[in-house]
Amino acid sequence: MLQELLEPTPLPPSVRKNRIAIGSEAYNEVLNFLYDEAEMLDNLRLGEWAELLTKDLEYNAPLRHTRSTAHFAQTYSRNVQHLHENYGSMMMRVKRITDTKSAWGEDPPSRVKRMVSNVRVYTTDKPNELKVDSYLLVTRSRFDFDYFDLIPCERHDILRREGDSLMLARREILLDQVVIGTPNLGIIL
Amino acid sequence: MTESTNPRLSDGTLLSDLINLETREVKMRTLSDPELYELEMERIFAKTWVFLGHETEIPNKGDFVVRDMGSDSVLMARGSDDNIYVSLNVCPHRGMKISTHDVGNTPVHVCIYHGWAFKPNGDFIGAPVDKECMHGNLLTKEQLGLKKARVAIYGGLVFATWNIDGPSFDDFLGDAKWYFDTLWCRTNKGMEVLGPPQRFTIRANWKTACEQSASDGFHVLTLHRWLSEVGPYRKPGSEGGGGDLTPEMYGSEVYTAHAHTMRCIELDRKIRRLTGKEPSELSVKEKLEALPPPGITPAMLPEMMERFSEDQLKLMTWRPPQVGNFFPNGLFEFVYIPTPDGVIGVMALHAYVPKGPDKLEFVNWILAEKDTPPELKAQMLRLGVQLLGTSGMVEQDDSDTWPHQTLAAKGAVSKNITLKYQAMYENAKPEGWPGPGDVGDGFTKDDTQWRWWQYWHELMTAKN
Repeated sequence: MLQELLEPTPLPPSVRKNRIAIGSEAYNEVLNFLYDEAEMLDNLRLGEWAELLTKDLEYNAPLRHTRSTAHFAQTYSRNVQHLHENYGSMMMRVKRITDTKSAWGEDPPSRVKRMVSNVRVYTTDKPNELKVDSYLLVTRSRFDFDYFDLIPCERHDILRREGDSLMLARREILLDQVVIGTPNLGIIL
Repeated sequence: MTESTNPRLSDGTLLSDLINLETREVKMRTLSDPELYELEMERIFAKTWVFLGHETEIPNKGDFVVRDMGSDSVLMARGSDDNIYVSLNVCPHRGMKISTHDVGNTPVHVCIYHGWAFKPNGDFIGAPVDKECMHGNLLTKEQLGLKKARVAIYGGLVFATWNIDGPSFDDFLGDAKWYFDTLWCRTNKGMEVLGPPQRFTIRANWKTACEQSASDGFHVLTLHRWLSEVGPYRKPGSEGGGGDLTPEMYGSEVYTAHAHTMRCIELDRKIRRLTGKEPSELSVKEKLEALPPPGITPAMLPEMMERFSEDQLKLMTWRPPQVGNFFPNGLFEFVYIPTPDGVIGVMALHAYVPKGPDKLEFVNWILAEKDTPPELKAQMLRLGVQLLGTSGMVEQDDSDTWPHQTLAAKGAVSKNITLKYQAMYENAKPEGWPGPGDVGDGFTKDDTQWRWWQYWHELMTAKN
């Protein structure tokens, strides 16, 4: 019962026969979405980014475990996660940064680059929804520190067409690190 | 501990040069010095009881997790007799790490280097090519087991120590037990973790996090100010959403001989708001029904009330411990968070694991009572993730502070600047205070953190 309450809605599978051709109009539209999103987030245009979120948003980042090859599928935990958000809680995160003078964890803000690659787009059972898989490498520079925190991950998104635009309806972030190598996830992935 | 020593660092500095017990000051250098760090691993983490996790993380025979006791990796495993064992995660043969996994289940831990095998309780089973006696004939099989720590389970929490003949766990808890019982021993079935812990790394000395966790209240006013700007403590109607967290910092603070501390925050205002009545006119039962502890529903109250003395129930409805630490590196948060759906409790435990003088691992468990209804558990978990740990909107501000303190501790000049703990209670227990230990009353003060440093000093200078 608790498990059911905590588990995010399962994402549709990424089936090769449902792939949308690289370079096609639909593919390019998705790519534009991901690039624009990265630009907004990198430049603290969080209010603008929030307008891309559907009201039934699910936004999750499971924990990882180091386990044997035989147990690779069990390396994810989706009960306690690093991020476990819905629209309301995500808006609170945005508001904390945009509407207060004391979001110190990101003030001064990190310099962040979200590098999106390996983008694959799939049709789903729902005509207005696309499944989008991508890799994301985030470089995060804090203060005058001469190192970067690296946050490599993959993202599994559902983009939904609402009117003329694509909206982010679901996102699952699979982080590579078991022990996250940055002092907080105060930035949006 | 009757005899003490005064350890000398290689540049001639004495430990007594770093801490001034009269003026309540500690030199910044303590927050980065590598020699001091080595001493701390031996004199504190290899001597005291260290918090490792919760028994519900390993419910079945053979289940294990890999954890840290200071700078040492340990296996925390459930044996075939259902007991929990903690053993050094190092093969006694050639020093390979026995388990390189974080979690799993196995009846036999086999070292991948030479194949030596051990039971979950650490006993040596044997080495390959037994007839050729790979394990030699100088030591017996009993002598070749993993080094075993002494284990104490308290309210489901697993603690261990290498100090096999040292003080008991009850001695270590001391006066804190009376209070901790009201947190961890509330129900017959007890608590459970809602999943594995979050883990992340901060480039800061472990003590920056740990001295703060010893009930520092002052930082809340500035570092967590957003809570009253847009967060749960926003005062509707006031300009800029309030911005003043001062009222939240009144109550009592408890500090014990072994530096377990807690901030016991007044519930009166919340109860007044929820019931429209003066708390003094309400019975303990009425107060508990209006505002039960985190994870407890009104239906669970009769069982809970049976478990506690009148004095403990008084504390739980007046000024329950909400934030505090267990020495050396644990923190608890059992907080009542106002939300649009009412007051929802969040229960979290942290271990701040030292990973070198400039690095710590933040480990965050989120818990609930086993009997808490699933819907409430899910709410508690989501709120916990939102506010605490890796992405937590409260704790992301803490974790960005500690690296700066650690860096400042290296400056030729700033390393001699002192941390100051001079805000002192000039009063003692408030009238009618039901519990033991040292208690200060009123606004948050430095006494709890100073007690932390006093005990740090006691352990660092103890003659072994």
